[in-house]
This record gives sequence, C-alpha cells and structure tokens, in this order.
Amino acid sequence: MTDRASFLAAIRSTPRGLDPGLPDRREAPDAPTQLRAGEERPDRLQAEAEAASTIVHRVTAVDVGATVASVLVQADAQRIALTTDLAPFADDVQAALVAAGLTVTEYVEVAPDRARAGALDATVTGCIAAVAATGSVVTSAAGAGRAGALIAPTHICVVRDEQIVGGLHELFDGDALAEAGSLFALQSGPSRSADIEKVLILGVHGPGNVHLIIVAPD
Amino acid sequence: MSATREDVGGTPLPPGWAKPAHQPDAFELTTTTFAERAAKTMARPFARGAIANATDHAAALTTARFVGTDHEALREEARKIRAHAIANLPDYLDQWIDQAERKGTIVHYAADESEARRIVAQICTDQQITRVVKSKSMASEEVSLNSALEAVGVDIYETDLGEFVVQAMGDRPGHVIAPILHRTKDEVHELFSAMAGHELPNEAEALTAFAREGLRHAFLTADAGISGGNFLIAETGDVLLVTNEGNGRLTTSLPPIHIALVGIEKVLPRRRDLAVLLPLLTGHGTGQQITTYVSVSAGPRRQGEPDGPEQMHVVLLDAGRSALLGGEFEEALHCIRCGACQNVCPVYRQVGGHAYGWVYGGPIGAVLTPLFRGQEEAGELAQATTLCGACDDVCPVKIPLHDLLLNLRRRSDAEGHVPRHEQVAFALWAQVWSRPLLYRASTAVARGSLRALARNGVVSAKSPLLRRWTAGRDLVVGKRPR
Amino acid sequence: MPDDVGMTAAVQLFPTCIGDVVAQQTATDAERVLDALGIDHHRPSATTCCGQPAYNSGHDGPARAVAKATLKALDDGSDLPILVPSGSCTSMVRLHWRELFHGTPEAEAATRIARRVRELSSYLAEHTDALRELKPSLAVRVGYHDSCHMLRELRIKEAPREVLQTVAGLELVELDSSERCCGFGGTFSGRYPDVSVAMADTKIDDMVAAKIDVLVSSDPGCLMQLAGRMSRQGTPVRAVHLATLMAEALA
Repeated sequence: MTDRASFLAAIRSTPRGLDPGLPDRREAPDAPTQLRAGEERPDRLQAEAEAASTIVHRVTAVDVGATVASVLVQADAQRIALTTDLAPFADDVQAALVAAGLTVTEYVEVAPDRARAGALDATVTGCIAAVAATGSVVTSAAGAGRAGALIAPTHICVVRDEQIVGGLHELFDGDALAEAGSLFALQSGPSRSADIEKVLILGVHGPGNVHLIIVAPD
Repeated sequence: MSATREDVGGTPLPPGWAKPAHQPDAFELTTTTFAERAAKTMARPFARGAIANATDHAAALTTARFVGTDHEALREEARKIRAHAIANLPDYLDQWIDQAERKGTIVHYAADESEARRIVAQICTDQQITRVVKSKSMASEEVSLNSALEAVGVDIYETDLGEFVVQAMGDRPGHVIAPILHRTKDEVHELFSAMAGHELPNEAEALTAFAREGLRHAFLTADAGISGGNFLIAETGDVLLVTNEGNGRLTTSLPPIHIALVGIEKVLPRRRDLAVLLPLLTGHGTGQQITTYVSVSAGPRRQGEPDGPEQMHVVLLDAGRSALLGGEFEEALHCIRCGACQNVCPVYRQVGGHAYGWVYGGPIGAVLTPLFRGQEEAGELAQATTLCGACDDVCPVKIPLHDLLLNLRRRSDAEGHVPRHEQVAFALWAQVWSRPLLYRASTAVARGSLRALARNGVVSAKSPLLRRWTAGRDLVVGKRPR
Repeated sequence: MPDDVGMTAAVQLFPTCIGDVVAQQTATDAERVLDALGIDHHRPSATTCCGQPAYNSGHDGPARAVAKATLKALDDGSDLPILVPSGSCTSMVRLHWRELFHGTPEAEAATRIARRVRELSSYLAEHTDALRELKPSLAVRVGYHDSCHMLRELRIKEAPREVLQTVAGLELVELDSSERCCGFGGTFSGRYPDVSVAMADTKIDDMVAAKIDVLVSSDPGCLMQLAGRMSRQGTPVRAVHLATLMAEALA
C-alpha cells in the first residue's frame, strides 16, 4: 500500500521542470467571464442568466414573496422547501405561499431523508453571491445545502443586488466564499444535456425550471 | 446500508441493464492497429457525419466565445499557471493534502492503476457499499474502475447521460466530454426501449426522461457516489467538478459516501486561478460561458449543514504521471481535458475516439496513450496525425502537441520501436539523397518511371511500389514542363 | 538556365524534392513569374530535399544527412533570398533546421540559410504593384487552400491571396474549410491511405459546393494529394500551384 510519504517521495525524486513563476495578477483577466467596462451588474446578470435559459424577475423587497408564490403556483408545485439562506425574505415568502394555499417545509428537515428530498417539487433558496458575467448564483453547503438548488424540478433563487459580483475574478478574490462550509457551487440555468445527437434537453438530473429573483436596493 | 430501496422516487432499472465493464486488458491497443480501428468508425457513415458535425459545431462555439477578449493573453496566463503548478507538483500536492485532511477528507494514494482499483474496491468492501452512482470520470476509465467494482459485487450506475448509454451498451466513450458523439438517437432509442420493456417515443426528450427516472432511483438509493475531479485547489483542499446535467453534484451530495478519483496533475495553486482556468475549460470544452454546475467541495458534510456525505475520500492517482515530470513530455500534464484538440483535429474528425484504442482520443490521446501505456504498445498513435498544428492553436493551456507528437516519433526511433522495413527505407533514402549526383539520378529514374506509367500525365495504375498512394488517388505528374 | 549565372541573380530558387520528381512545372512557372517581374533568378544545382519526410517521421539521422546536402548547395556565401515554392519545406528550413543541426558543424550555416529562405507567395506579395502593372488576367473562380505549416508555423495567410487578387477577372472565394488539413501529412498519406483520402474528400466536397474552377495552394504536397484524389474521382476542379496560376495569368 502506497502511503503519503512514499507517494510524494516518488514524485519528488523526478527532475524539476521549467517554472515560469505563478502570474501575480492584480486586475481581472480579460475573459468572457468578467464584467466589461460600463456594464451594470444586475443588467449583465440578467442578460447572462437569460442566455442560459434562467427566467429572471427584477423586483423590490416587498414583491419577493408574491413573485415566488406566482412562480410556484404556475409550476403547480405541491411539495416546496425553503433553505435557511433565504433569510431575510423567508418570512415574507412563507406568508405569501401560505396565502396562495401552498404548504411549505424547511429543507433542513427534509434533507436528511433522501427520499423526501427527492420528492420535492420545488426549492426556494438564497445564495452567497451571484456572478453577473456568468449569470450564475453561488450557493453554499451551509446555506442552500449541497443539493438544495438542484434536487427539485423547479428552483427559485433570490439574490440581493449587493450580493452580485462582476465576474469570476471578483468572486474568487472576494470574501463571499469564506463561510460557505464544505461546498460552494455555481449554477447557471437549468440542468442540460446535448448528448443525444446534440439536441438540447433542459432538466436532466437537476431542475428544468430555474428562476432568479434579483432584488433591487430599497 | 441500503435500507429501503423501494418507493423512493424514480423507477428502478431492470436487473442486468448494464453490460459488464471492460476489463483492464480489454483495450484493443495491442490486438489491433490504428488503421483497423479507424476503418470500423469510417465504415459507419452516420458516425463519421456526426463526429464531423459535432466537432465543427463545438469548435465554432469556442471561437465565438472569446471574440472581443484578449484570448491569447488568457491562454498565456493559463499556460503559466499550469506550468508553475506542474513544476512544483510535490509541494502543491503536499499543501492540498494538508488542507483536505484538515477539512476531514480521507486521502488515498494510488501509484498505479491496479492500486487505484484496489483502494476503491476496498473502500466499497469495508463500507458495505453495494450500489454506486458515478459521475463521468476519465481517470476511472484509465484504471478500468467499473470492472474492479463489479468484481466485488457493486452495482454501478453511470449518471452522465452519455456515459449511461456507454455503460448500457458495453461501449466506451468516444470523446472526452461528449461520450456518445458517435451514437445515433435511433441506437439510444432501441437500447432504452429494450431496457424499458416497451417502445419509447423516439425523441431525445423522452429518451432523456427515461434515463433520468432510472438514475433518479439510483441517486436516491446509492451507498456511495464516485466522481472524478476537474481541479484540486492546493490552498483550500478543494475538489472541483463541472457538469451540465447536475449529476456531478447529486453524486457527491446525496449518497452517504463520496469517493473522488483524481489525477495528481489536476492541482492548481489557488482558487483565484480558477478565474483564468474555468472560462478556458468551459469555453474550449462546450463553448459555454460557464458550465451549468460548478461544484467545489472540501471534506464531508459539516455540523449544521442540511445535507451531504458523511465521508469524503479522495484517491490521488499517479499511474504514469510523475514519470513525465521534468522530461520532454512534461507539458502533456498541463492538459485540463477540455476536448478542444479533438474538436479541431482533422484526423479525429474522420476516425473518432475509438480509433485511438484507449481512453483518450485525438491529439492529446495520441500523446498520452503512448506515454501512459508505453511506446511499444501505443507508439503508433503518434504517427496517426498529419502534424497540421490545429491542436496547438486551440489548446487553452498552449500545450505544444505538435512538438510532443514529433518527440514521440523520435523516441520510437531511438528506442527501436520503428518497423525494420521503415528503418531500412529511410537509411537507404538517406544514402541516396544525401549525394546530389545520386539524387539527380534517382529523381530522373523516378520521373521516367512515372511518365512511363502515366497516361495523359496521370498515374493511376496500382503499381506495387505506389499501391498505398494509388489505391484511392491518382498521381498527377503532368506533362514534361513547357 | 545554366548553373553558373548565379552571380548576377537577385534570388535563388529551391525547387524541393516533390518539385524535382512530381511537380516540375511548379518551379518552371515560378521562374516565368520572376522573369515577368524582371527578377534575376538562379537554381543551385546540387539541392536535394530539406529532410522533412524523415524529420517528421522521427528519424533525425537520415533527415540531417539529406538536409546537409541541400544546406551545402544553398550556402553559397551570398545573402540572396532563397525562394521555396512550398510552405512546408520553407517551414522546415526556416524553423526546424536550427534544431536539426544543433550542435553539429553545420549549425551556423543552418541559421544563415534559415534567415534567407522565403516562401514564394510571401515574396511575390511584396511585388503586387509590379504584378498589377503586368496586367495578369484570367477569368476563373478560385478557392485557396491554406497549407498547415505555412499557415500555422510560418503564419502566412494573406500573402497568397494578395498575389491572386492582382489577377483581373479572377474571383477569389473563401472556402469554409480553407484552413483544414488536406490529409497529405507527408508519410501519413502512405501510412494511413484510407484516412488520408477521407480527409481530402471533405475538402473536395467543400470545393464542389463552392463551385470553384481552380483550387490554388502554395504546397506541392497538398496539391499532389488533392489533385490526385480529384483526378481519381473525376472532380471538375483543377488543383494548381499559385506559381502556375500566376504564370498562366501573365502569359
């Protein structure tokens, strides 16, 4: 059985290749995944999210609950779970869903039982960040859980304007990921596959119906 | 461990749905030639057309994705990051292991393919794992992991749609990121209908839905999830996984145990390096702005987290990688498995992935296979390219594939793996053509012979010496110059 | 042209081995174009081959032996440009000879020659004004094939097109697959004839779809491949070297 010491020793015993040095970049690289000059973050987020087949809603805080309720009613979702990172909108959402005649559970209660989690019709989560230039929401194991954003056919994510970072560089250099827990994840639109003759299918193992609610500052 | 396996959602797949996985020795490298394997794909007109269409499409998307950006600067930065990480591989691995263990990851060390098989099989035996969901992993293809697990009684479910088809057919993936590029919808329809026991609609959507139901059940009942890893982040102990279907994250989130099998060369120094590598991996892979799901995990579920595995194992795989360090082929380790070189390769386009006889096809396959499987077994692959250089121009981390291929050809020569007749031919050729007088005589003879064979300036006779040329082509020699 | 008039020449011409065996017309036509431009030229008598067939097969020893003969023939003490009607051979001499002769007594000469070689069309592209004054004319629909080494090693893409566009009546069509390899690949064409021919066919399909009359390229190897396949298939497209087309347009 190879152990750590012998495994690394074998690698160390090899000659050392050319090292160009680790680039010490201050600025964001010029990549498609960066915000371009003059772009507003929520606008780019909306454009990229829509390009990835996410349905985007731009609202103010007071309308979050109603927006969530209307999406879920339209999706005919019966079994709905909210994740803890939905705060500070959790109470409003809960109230709006109840008003719409929908019953709601907490994801933390459902999640330990895979079968129950797997039977959910929809999850509503917050996020730890959104990335404008990639149209992504970033969720954490500590908040939405590992599977909270993709276990059900419908996923609604609520992001506050101030949570939006410009691009990947800003995400990885910032501190949004500090408290993510055992996992953080970027998701950008519905689950998809084009394996069968390049035909694009949405909603393979993850949700096919993905909504992003961008909450404008008050 | 698998208490209730009924009524959890999804539809269980019928027993025996999957063909047994290929054994480690079942690759065709040693028993067939590139030409024979290529002929198989070329005999299937659909496969040829599909491969050409899909690769052209992907290559066009890649080009379009980077319009208006300084693509070259991004590639150059990526090259430096990869070169630096590989030049300092033991240090970064050491750092990664420290960080990963600090976060509760159990790290295992596989020096070669058989050790990797043994380690994962042992985890399965120890933890009484009998059902595994698997997210696409080329490393697991390298070590023929599935057959090793089948041998210890584990049921495996490949959960990437393409890999699922591959597994059910007993096939092998035809492309690094598009495993069933070479298969038709009709073939998938026939396969799935047989599995379902009734005729399914012959539409991609319905076929996908069928696979989803079967795999859903597997996700909800599996004892462990096995994945590969696209990157390891040294500073944080992270394992990064990208998938479009979401199967990667479900594999690593729902079952109580997650096992990742990752090549040691996948290390990146820092999370911030992802700002360079991620857009290149996805932009060169599928042409997307970003892959739908990018999951970055370190360690098992922590206190207070609603879901996630109780154990996370990472098996670090060497299997020929460290042998390349510091040598003329080190740059092959920079590869991030995006598949872009396959998409632009004019040879791959004709022959597909299986012609390369092992796990990786296209230019990177023609480089990695001889390096990992040995020159004697696979050296021929380096000859199976025209050295057109399209791969060099598209590689997101600027691996000089053309030079590596040429170096492999040189090594074949130096190590005596070149067929005797070829060596004799080139030695004779050098004797004659290094002497201008003999050269002139030989070219005069050649011209004379060709003109004698030619009719109206065209040689089409299948003369034995020209057989390999004139089987499919004429030789247009023209008339004596005016 | 006799060998001993090199003293007055402005350029040298290296016909290459394919030029000596199969495509003799190419060098002759290149000379006609140079004649029309009033550029003195000279063919060194003792050149053989640049060594590429062996070099690209991994046989550096035989490659060096053969290339050395050509190197000696070209290294005449002058600094005249050496025109090569082949992108691939130019690339071999210009970029790979240094490595091939590294650490040998010929290293210095190899560097010297590498600096002198010029791919023919890139040289002619510096004379487009003069060419235009000669009023070349030919009513044809032309597609251009970018040969791999010329495009990706020498990075020459526009020059041959600029030369072709001096021809009145010539319609230059950009082929979708202009940058895709034709499948020749030197010894590849003999090692894997079926794959090689299939690669040519995708190019030819594209040419037929684009309804071109003539396919022009700057590499005798690619032309041997494409013309050979089209001849076998009876495809009604001529495949000719840029020098040949220009010579016809100037005739």
